[in-house]
Amino acid sequence: MVQARWLKKSLLGAAAIALVAFGGGRALVAADHFDPPARTGSDTNTVGFDVAADIADLYAFHDAQNVYLAISFGGPSATNLPGFYDPDVLYTVNVSNVFPRTDVEFPIEIRFGRDGPNPGIQVRNLPGGVSIEGPVERNLTTSNGIVVRAGVFDDPFFFDPQGLRDSRATGTLSFNNQRDRFARLNSTFVILSIPRTLIDRGTPLDVWASSARIRQ
Amino acid sequence: MICTAPALKLASTLALAFVLASCGDKAPEPVAVSPTPAPMPVPPPTPTPTSFNVSRCLSQTAVPGRSVADLVVPDLVRLDLTQPAGFPNGRRYLDPVIDITLAVIFLDLRRHPATVFANLPVNPNGVDQPLPDTFPFLAPPLGNPPTANGAGSNFQFRTDPASAYVRVDRAAMPGVSTALISGNPSKNGYNDDTPAIDATAKWVPEIANTLTILTNALADDFGRLGLTICATPN
Repeated sequence: MVQARWLKKSLLGAAAIALVAFGGGRALVAADHFDPPARTGSDTNTVGFDVAADIADLYAFHDAQNVYLAISFGGPSATNLPGFYDPDVLYTVNVSNVFPRTDVEFPIEIRFGRDGPNPGIQVRNLPGGVSIEGPVERNLTTSNGIVVRAGVFDDPFFFDPQGLRDSRATGTLSFNNQRDRFARLNSTFVILSIPRTLIDRGTPLDVWASSARIRQ
Repeated sequence: MICTAPALKLASTLALAFVLASCGDKAPEPVAVSPTPAPMPVPPPTPTPTSFNVSRCLSQTAVPGRSVADLVVPDLVRLDLTQPAGFPNGRRYLDPVIDITLAVIFLDLRRHPATVFANLPVNPNGVDQPLPDTFPFLAPPLGNPPTANGAGSNFQFRTDPASAYVRVDRAAMPGVSTALISGNPSKNGYNDDTPAIDATAKWVPEIANTLTILTNALADDFGRLGLTICATPN
């Protein structure tokens, strides 16, 4: 098993070397963490960059009753940090449920706000034409059965970007399958549970996410 | 620890030292000392071409009904509700997205399944704790991050329209922006665009060029691993 894990890391390492050598010094094989690095920072330096607006991952899956959409951002973050509930950032989960794929039927807008020191979440343009707002870190349920939750969770993604950097510096594969940059770290998530009857029109769903900061 | 035959077959010379360290639990057999034989002539290795055309990689079928190009352009996560969820049909928290992406962009999928890397007997994820099977299906945060405890009831939110915000990031298919779009300024431009713009093929030359560079660099490595790449020599 360890050997196979090494093989995997070797392949990633080889890819990583090529990425660094030819794809730009800040290239990183990851989902979307630290991208674009000129705005969000890199995995070694996020000081002064827009960490809150850095979308880490987009997830979409389903079961017999619901479709689940989730975005993570502001991560990975140390385990002593609160969630990134930035009121100046607009997150949008764009969903197309009829052709063409690139048209957006539901631009689901996510904003954070405050009640004194307490952060809250507002989600608009949900299927069924509903919106909801309330405190973070609690399940919020709309009148048509959509459930929303914002909160800090253990980030399930994994990768070893230090191996990438060391490989570039030494020219030798330096990945360590025990060195997971995302292990023992958290990220902020917003997760939506949408009843299939509200969104299933008999064609596949196409989903993308974006973040934007209020114009200064 | 399990050292399976498929894994051993795939192990490259790069893996040799590790293989010996990982699987060699037995003490080495005694070696008989004898006069050094005359060296046998070693045929030169077949050189690996250094320039490849990746067109066939982009046009090959990744999953039924979808080519690799269709997976990444436009940059969307597609979820077919009539099929089981699991990357590239949507994405679940623990899907081995990097393994699958590497396979579909580099390997000849007529010879290797898209899951060739993911199917290795490897722990499929590096999560710190098991994920629950109820909403939101994520493990609780580690450590002691300050929590809001669900407090508050009179929240104030910005009322600015979406047009009052400036794009920072976009995300969909894992690894596309990070791996197949080269450095700035392309990365910012890519993140400023939309899937509708992707559909005009604006970024296809960039993606093909980056994949070509990667393939040219990695072809010999895949060859040593006994894997057939999808790209064809120029």
